[in-house]
Amino acid sequence: MKTSRVLAWIAIAIGAIYFFVPLIGTFEFSLRMRRGEYSFDAYQSVFSDIQFQQTFGFSMLMALFTIIFGMLLVVPTAYWVRLRLPQVRPVIEFITLLPLVIPAIVIVFGYLRLYNSSSWLPFTGSVGGTNTLLVLSYMTLSLPYMYRAVDTAMRAIDVRTLTEAAEILGAKWPTIMFRCIFPNVMSGVLSGAFITFAIVMGEFTMAALLNRPAFGPYLQLVGANKAYEPSALAIIAFAITWLSMGLLQLVTRFSKLTPSRP
Amino acid sequence: MSFLVLENIKKSFGQTQVVKDFDMSIEKGEFVSFLGPSGCGKTTVLRMIAGFETPSGGRISINGKDQNRLKTSQRNIGMVFQAYALFPNMNVFDNVAFGLKVAGKPKAEIEARVKEMLSLIRLDHLADRYPYQLSGGQQQRVALARALAPKPQVLLLDEPLSALDAKIRVSLREEIRQIQSQLGITTVFVTHDQEEALSISDRIVVMNAGRADQIGTPSEIYNHPATRFVASFVGTLNMIEATVADPAANTVNVGDNVVRLRESVGALRAGDKLSIALRPEAGSLSENAKGDTSLTGKVVSSHFLGSVIRTKIDVGGNRISFDMFNAPDAVMPQAGETVTLRFNASDFLIVRD
Repeated sequence: MKTSRVLAWIAIAIGAIYFFVPLIGTFEFSLRMRRGEYSFDAYQSVFSDIQFQQTFGFSMLMALFTIIFGMLLVVPTAYWVRLRLPQVRPVIEFITLLPLVIPAIVIVFGYLRLYNSSSWLPFTGSVGGTNTLLVLSYMTLSLPYMYRAVDTAMRAIDVRTLTEAAEILGAKWPTIMFRCIFPNVMSGVLSGAFITFAIVMGEFTMAALLNRPAFGPYLQLVGANKAYEPSALAIIAFAITWLSMGLLQLVTRFSKLTPSRP
Repeated sequence: MSFLVLENIKKSFGQTQVVKDFDMSIEKGEFVSFLGPSGCGKTTVLRMIAGFETPSGGRISINGKDQNRLKTSQRNIGMVFQAYALFPNMNVFDNVAFGLKVAGKPKAEIEARVKEMLSLIRLDHLADRYPYQLSGGQQQRVALARALAPKPQVLLLDEPLSALDAKIRVSLREEIRQIQSQLGITTVFVTHDQEEALSISDRIVVMNAGRADQIGTPSEIYNHPATRFVASFVGTLNMIEATVADPAANTVNVGDNVVRLRESVGALRAGDKLSIALRPEAGSLSENAKGDTSLTGKVVSSHFLGSVIRTKIDVGGNRISFDMFNAPDAVMPQAGETVTLRFNASDFLIVRD
C-alpha cells in the first residue's frame, strides 16, 4: 500500500473518531439514567414531557410554514431571474448569501427594532404577529440553501423553452408555474425543504429573542436543568437532521424528473 | 387572400436590426422553409409569428386576423422546438394531452384525440413512457404530436431535426412532410440545412442578414439563384470570373474560351468583368455528350468519392469542380490532362450581388 494511501486512511480515521466518539459517548450517556444498567428512560422522560411535545410541535409547524412561504417566494423569484432578468442574477445571489455572513442575532435585533410593538408595522405586538415574524426570520435564514437548491434544479431543465412550449399550447402563468415548472424543480424544492426543516428544528437565537416556545430554546432549557435528557435530546436532534439529509439524498437519487434534452 | 401574411416585418434588439422589411405571404396548407446561416434572422421571424418576440414594425396576420396584439397563448399555433421541450414530469400521453387540457376539452375528447395523434406518429405503444425513457427521434415525434393535438391553424418547426443523428433526421423529415400533407396544415420550418429545405418544402425563403434574398420553389432556388449569396449558400457552385467579349452577341471570355450565355449580360460593355456560376453536376467530359457550350482546361486533381468522381479543372485561372457519377467503366481523368467540359449554355447562371 502506498504511503499516501495510508495517510489518507489515517486522516479519515481521525476525522471519524473526532466525529463519532462524542456522538457514541453522548448516546451511551443518554442510556445511563437507570442506575447500573442501560435503558431508554431518558428518551421516555423526554417524549413524555408535555413541553417537549409542545415545542416540537410548534417548531414543526413553523418549519412547515417556512417551507411553504419560502418556496412561494424562492421558486417564482428564481424562475423570473432565469427567464426575464438574468442581469440581476448576481444581485439576487448576493442578497441570498447575506444571512450566511450576518449573524442571526444581528438580524433578529434588526427585526425587533423595525417591527416592535411601537413601530409602523408592529409584528411583535401580538402572538400571531410574532409567529409571523419568526417564520419570516426562518425564511431569511434558510434563503441561501433554499435559493441554491431551487436554482440548481432550474439549471437542470430548460426553463425558457418549457415555458414557451406551455405558452404556445395555450397555458397561462398559473398553469405554467404549477404544472410545468414546480413539478420539474421538485427535487430542488424538496432538498431546500429538508435543509430548511433541519435549520428550523435546531434554531435557537431567533426563537429565544422573539420569546417563542420553539424546540431550540427548549433544548437549551433542558440542557441547563437536567442530566441525562439533554443527551437524549441531542441524539434526537441528530436523528432529525440525518433523517432530513437521508430523505434529501433519496429524493435526489430517485427523482425521475430527468430533463428531456437533445 | 393568403393565410399567413407577414407585412414589412422589422425587429431590432437595441441598436442591431436583425430582421429588415420582411414580406411574405403563405397559402393555406403550404410548407414553407426559412433557410439561412446562423444569425440571419430566420428564427426571430418564426418567434415573432409565435408571439415570443414583438415586431419592432410591420404586421402579422393569420386567416385575416391581426396577430400583433394577441398573446402567444391566444394565437392557436403549434410549435416544435429544437430541444424537444417535452415536460419531463409528464408521460407521453399527458404531454400530448396538455394543450387539450389547458383548452378545457372534455376527458373523452382528449383521450380520443391523444390516441389519434399517437397513432399518427406510430407511438401509441409508448403512451405511458416518460420523456427520459425515449430516444431523441421518439421525443421529437411526441413533440410534433403535442403541437398538432389542439388542431393549430399554423405549425412552426424550429430546427426540429438538428439535434438528431443523420439517419433519424432523414426518416423524420419525411415523416413530418407526410403528416403535414395528410393534415393539410400550414407549416413554417426553420433550418440551416439546405438539403432538408430542398427535400420537403413547397417554397423556400433564403434569408441573409435579416432579409429574404429569394423566395421560390426548391427548383427555382437551386437552379436559378437570384443573388450571389443564394448561389453560394444553396448547393455547391463554381464561381467563374469572366470578361464580356461581345455584349451584342452575349459572349464572354473564360480564359481562352469564348462562351455564349443564354441570359443577357444587360448593360455591361466589352471588357467588363462578370461572375458566372456553374453547378458541379452540370455537363460531361464525354466527347459524345450533348451540349451547345464547352470549356477546355487542365485537370488539377481527381478524387474518387464513392458515388461520384470529383475532378478539379483549371480554366483560365478559374478552378472548376466537376462531379460525375461513378460507373464501373468510368475513367478517372488524370492530373495534367487537357479535358473539355461540355454543357448547355442555360446551365450558366449570371450571379448578381
